[in-house]
Order: sequence, then structure tokens, then C-alpha cells
Amino acid sequence: MAEGDVEWELSKENIQPLRRGRDISALHQALSLQQEASNSTVCQHRQAFEAELRVNDGEDPLDVWDRYIKWTVQTFPQGGKESNISVLLERAITRFAEEKKYYNDSRYLDIWLKFAEHCPDPLDIFRYMQSKGIGVLLSAFYIAWSEEYERMGNYKKADCMYQEGFKCGAEPREKLMQFHRSLQARVSRHVMSAIADQDSSEEDDAMEIEEPQRITLGELKTRGKKKAVAPINRTGNRVIKNPRGLQMNAPLGPVQNSCLMVFDENKASFVPQEPKPESWMALPSSRAKENEQRPDKWTNIKMPQKSRFGQVIRAPPSRPNFQPFVEECDLPPTMTPCKINPSVNLVLSARKLCREETPLKRLQSHQQQQRDEGRAPEQSMYCKELLFSGATEFCFEELRAERFRQKYRNREGSDS
Amino acid sequence: MSLFGTSSSFGTGGTGVFGSTTTDSHNPMKDVEVTSPPDDSISCLAFSPPSLPGNFLIGGSWANDVRCWEVQDNGQTVPKAQQMHTGPVLDVCWSDDGSKVFTASCDKTAKMWDLNSNQAMQIAQHDGPIRTIHWIKAPNYSCVMTGSWDKTLKFWDTRSPNPMMSLQMPERCYCADVVYPMAVVATAERGLIVYQLENQPSEFRRIDSPLKHQHRCVAIFKDKQNKPTGFALGSIEGRVAIHYINPPNPAKDNFTFKCHRSNGTNTTTPQDIYAVNAIAFHPVHGTLATVGSDGRFSFWDKDARTKLKTSEQLDQPITACCFNHNGNIFAYSSSYDWSKVERKGPALEPRPPPQASHGAVHAGAGTGCRFQAWSRPICVI
Repeated sequence: MAEGDVEWELSKENIQPLRRGRDISALHQALSLQQEASNSTVCQHRQAFEAELRVNDGEDPLDVWDRYIKWTVQTFPQGGKESNISVLLERAITRFAEEKKYYNDSRYLDIWLKFAEHCPDPLDIFRYMQSKGIGVLLSAFYIAWSEEYERMGNYKKADCMYQEGFKCGAEPREKLMQFHRSLQARVSRHVMSAIADQDSSEEDDAMEIEEPQRITLGELKTRGKKKAVAPINRTGNRVIKNPRGLQMNAPLGPVQNSCLMVFDENKASFVPQEPKPESWMALPSSRAKENEQRPDKWTNIKMPQKSRFGQVIRAPPSRPNFQPFVEECDLPPTMTPCKINPSVNLVLSARKLCREETPLKRLQSHQQQQRDEGRAPEQSMYCKELLFSGATEFCFEELRAERFRQKYRNREGSDS
Repeated sequence: MSLFGTSSSFGTGGTGVFGSTTTDSHNPMKDVEVTSPPDDSISCLAFSPPSLPGNFLIGGSWANDVRCWEVQDNGQTVPKAQQMHTGPVLDVCWSDDGSKVFTASCDKTAKMWDLNSNQAMQIAQHDGPIRTIHWIKAPNYSCVMTGSWDKTLKFWDTRSPNPMMSLQMPERCYCADVVYPMAVVATAERGLIVYQLENQPSEFRRIDSPLKHQHRCVAIFKDKQNKPTGFALGSIEGRVAIHYINPPNPAKDNFTFKCHRSNGTNTTTPQDIYAVNAIAFHPVHGTLATVGSDGRFSFWDKDARTKLKTSEQLDQPITACCFNHNGNIFAYSSSYDWSKVERKGPALEPRPPPQASHGAVHAGAGTGCRFQAWSRPICVI
């Protein structure tokens, strides 16, 4: 057990915290497995879950999904791409999107809340859920929503959520009240400290600063020929305290010339606009993909000059100084630089611009497909739903092997 | 008489009772039925290599058994021997000298079957069902290559319980083919990896899939100098891609074509798309045969990019096919392939329940094949 503690200590940063805490034995096992880089047991376990998803169609299909997701979260503490967790959550949500009986099931709500955590804009998700009626009778929904507002600093709205919860009669009521009380305590603490800060900042000019303050937020220096400098407006304690050498005439208050109206709950004069509740066509986007660029104007891009012969000239990559060793074999790897022949635009034509693959669009197209089923020009003559109903795909043989295994187990059970 | 046991009365004897009362859809091509076929769907077929005189056909099935028939020149098939696994058999292959047969099964093991002594011993072990098995004969080594659903590709010297080498794959192995010195493995999530086998097996290249749907079967083809130069890849949505490894002009040389679809020219009704279950290349002519879930087989010429022939529709999907070593015989198996499965309560049931599973050996005029045979077991899933 001592070794396990060491592993946990060393990997603390890589472990995503769970609300309910992590099972310590599962955590140790997961970490040690990763260190050995052997994932065959994990692989088998996952395959077993995937098979169960497809074969088990009893009274409660949500149960399999619930266990699968919980196992994934425990087994992959980093929660990265390997765990496939975001795909899994999305599939689970889509699978039961139309099943009203699960809308106020705490397990289903749990899945939605985990999904919201993976989204760039959880508030969108919460609003969608409210419009659909998912989780509106459960306290956990309002608590999570309120916490999101609190994280953004919007205490008023955070409090509103609890009122909403009481109004809707969310269960369990005591839990809602308890969390509400702790929110109120936090808000009052925050208000007190804010007032204290404001009081102390007025005295700052006269105060002597004991230690030399390092200018952590100094001006940005330009590099190279570009002279454009971004305007800097720093707020916060550091600058307000007037570091030595940098005299400011007036304490910086709320920024005057910014376009954003920063909400100040003390003034309570301005409320950030809440989007009107409209009917939701589909889910908002979830996947926070890093490399996705929003399509925008292409400024300062010059097209390469075309030569007389119509070919695009590209400088060949520089040759290495040494002679790379090329082994003679039947299948030599191609190392020549790739020249893009403009008449063969296979690479460019395969990609469609502005096609953001968001779960919003996916759910929309999924629903559209279901409506269009009868009108499709092509029909797949195989059990598509079964093959693709889990997080990863299955082939016919895997389905059949699972059926064989089930039959075998039943036979064994009946024999013994 | 049947050497395979008397699990089904129809299995014994020649072409069976059904031969006379059958409707056309069962054996529309009037091919010869193989006698004593397996009791359940046939997953794989393999003919003996040229080093063995005569033609011997091995078939693995979902009834956990592997059967061997001798196919005689007059068209008769004689059941010879049988071996069992503890799980369905997914793939079979011959050694190059024709003395051994290797079988891979869902029970996570692979066995080597010595035909002379009729003994089988286990030579491989995986953490998941073994999906493919191939014999590799290199100048400096020979081994068995197994691809499994545990995402590994392992190479076994049959004398040792540990693999000579184990390569990790990104996903589960769905199909593979080997023509020395090249091996191709198609995996789940549309993965495609080419391995080179000289000196020792190593990953040569990962290729972006030319197909948009799940990979189902793959077969390597050779060029005029008899060297492997590319492969044909089939998907579950009626399409086959021809892909060269180092073509002079990739955009022009690589292509895909649609196959195993119904209502080809009729645009009013939706087109039904079936899975391509297996691909095999004619050893002499280089033409390729595809078999699909629609119950048809077709012959194609990939160089002329034309379809040569399509069979009539059988009443069941065709699950496996292979040519014999000189291309005179084409064997195909007609049995339920579980492409259409429906949930009925807590279990998976095939839809509709099949009546029989058949193994058939066929020869069609005009493509250089000469022989036909049929088989007809009863299967209950």
C-alpha cells in the first residue's frame, strides 16, 4: 500500500478530481496499469462493456451505460482521449434523448452533468436541459447550475437558481436548502471582503509598502518589426497597490473604456443579458477541440504567384547534409517531397469549410435521419444500430461471438 | 457415409434429399454441393497449396469445428477429417508444404493440425478471440501470424509457447492477408496497416482508409512479376477499394467500386446495400471474386475495371470464398452471416431464422474455373 501512495503522490496533477471522490483502490490500480503500459485487462474490460451494451436489452438499458461510464471515469484518472469519455457521454445522452422516463433519473442527470463539464459553455447545456425538462425535479441539477454561475462570479443568478429549484419542488429538498445556505455564506463572505478591499485601497496611496513590489504585470514589449501594441488595462490587487516606481494618479476602478459591462453585484444596476428561452432545436456544442478554428476573414494572406506554366512554384525542402541510408527492399518508403498538383485537388476537396462537427449538429442530423428513414436513397441491409450503438464499433463476428458466449454461460449455469 | 459424426441426418450421404426438391434460390448456379457440411455458419475456407497433390478444402465454422474434404477431379467431395475447438473457428490457413493446417478460434487459441497424424496442438494464445491466422514463409524464418481482437498481432514459432514477436495495433484486427513480403491488416475504426516481412515483421505504413465504412475483408494482389503490389479492401456497405502501395499515379490508379447492391439502375426505390463478406484473387488471371450478404458472388477485372459476371441470388448470404491453387475451382459457402440481427427482448436473435447453411464449390464458364460442388448441412442458430 505504501507503493501505491507514492504513485498517487507523484501523479496528483494528472488526476481529475471527481465530485464524489475517487475509489482509492481503483485509482492505484489505474495508475499502476498506466506505468506498466499494459492495457490488455482494460481493453478486455471495455470490450466486455461494449458487448453488454449491445446484447443486454432488459428493463433498464441505462444501467449498462451508467456502469460503463463510471468504470471509465475511475479507470482513466486523467480523463484524456484514451478514455473515450466524451464520445461515451455523448452517445449515452443521444441514446436516451427521447426517453422521457429517464429525464428525472439521477443516473441520467449524472451523465448530463459530466457532459456539461466537458463543454466549453455549460450554461448552454443547462438551459437546454431546462427547456427539455431533463433533471428539473432533481436538486443536483439546480446545485450544479448554480455552481456554474458562482464560478463565473454571478452570485445573483446563482441564488436565483436555488429559488427556481424550490419553486419546481426539486428533491431532495433538504440538500437544496443545505447547499443554498452554504452559497449564501460564501456570498456574504465575498461581499464583506470586497468591501474591506475597497476600504483598504483608499488608504493605499498614503501607505508605505514594506517590500519592493515586483512589476509582474509590466508592459508588453514588442518584438520584431511589428509595432502594434495591445492596449493594456490591468485591474486587480497588484496594480492597485501602486508598486514602487510606477505612480498612478488615481486608483483604477471599473474600467471606463471597455466595451464589456462588467457586472458588479454591489451596484446591482446592470444584469448581463440572459438569452431569451427559445425552443431548442438541438444540443449546444460540447467538444472543446483545441485545433478547431472558427472560420473568419483571411487577412494578409497572399496567394503564391503562378508561373507562366500555370504550375504553382514551391521551394523544394532543403536536402540534409548527410546521405540518408536507404535500405533496399521491395517496398521502399517514399521520401520525396510532395508537390501538390493543382489539377488533383483531392486533399482540398475532401474538406468542407465551416462544417463544425459539434454535437449540436450531430444530434440534429441524427433526428433528421430518423425522420428521413423512409425516404433515403440507400438502405443499409445490416443491423447498423447494433454495430454502432456503443462508444466503439462492433463487427458482425463480435456480435455473434457475444451471443455465443451468452449461450455458453447460460448452458453452464443450467448444467451446474 | 460421413466421417463427421451423425449430428444431422441430412449430412450423411451424397447430395441429400434437398437436391431434388430444392427451389432455385438454394443452388441457383447448379454448383456441386460439398457433402457433410458443418452444422453452423461457415466462417472461412481454404484450399490446399500446390505442394499437395490433389485439392483439399478446409472449412471452419461457428459450430466450433474445422472440416477437411478432398475435392476430386470428377467433382465429388469426400469428407476426410475434422477437428474441434472450444469456440467458433474464425480463420484457417495451410502451411506452405500442405502438411499442416492452422486454425484460429474465438476461444482465444490457435491450433496446428497435422493432417498426417490427425493430431491438433495449441500453438498460440491471445487475450481475446483470434480473428485471423496466416502462415509466413520467409527465406530466413517461418512463422504463424495471428491477429486478434485484443489489438495485438503476434508471430509464433510453432515450437514455443511464447510469441516470437508481438506488435501492438491501434484497434482490433478485423481482417488480414499475407503475401510475402507484404502483410495487410485492417482494423476497427477504419484502420489500415501494411507490414513488411523481410528479415523480421515490422510496420511499414499506416494508410488512411479509402473507404468510409467499417472494414470487412482484405486480399492482396500481385503484379505481372508476381510480387505483391496492392490490396483490395471490402467494407460493410457494398464497396471495394483497390489500393496500390506505390502507384505511379495514386489519384488515377487507386479507385473504389460499388458492389453487392440491389436495384442498380432503378432510382425510385431505395437501393439496398449489403456487406462484402470476402474477397479472393484468382491465382493465374488476377481477376477478383467478391461475395456478399446479398447472396451473390461476382467476378471483376480490376485492370480493365469491369464486372465479369455476377451469380444468381442465393437464398442466404455468402460468407466465405476461395480459389484453389491453379484457379480451376472456386469454393464459396452460403450460410447465415448475422448481418441482420434484431433484438427480441433480452437476447439477440437472427432475423429471419435460417433453414440451412451450405458450402458450395462452384466453377463458372468464362472465368477459367472448371468445377462446381455444393454442400448442405442443417444449421440451427
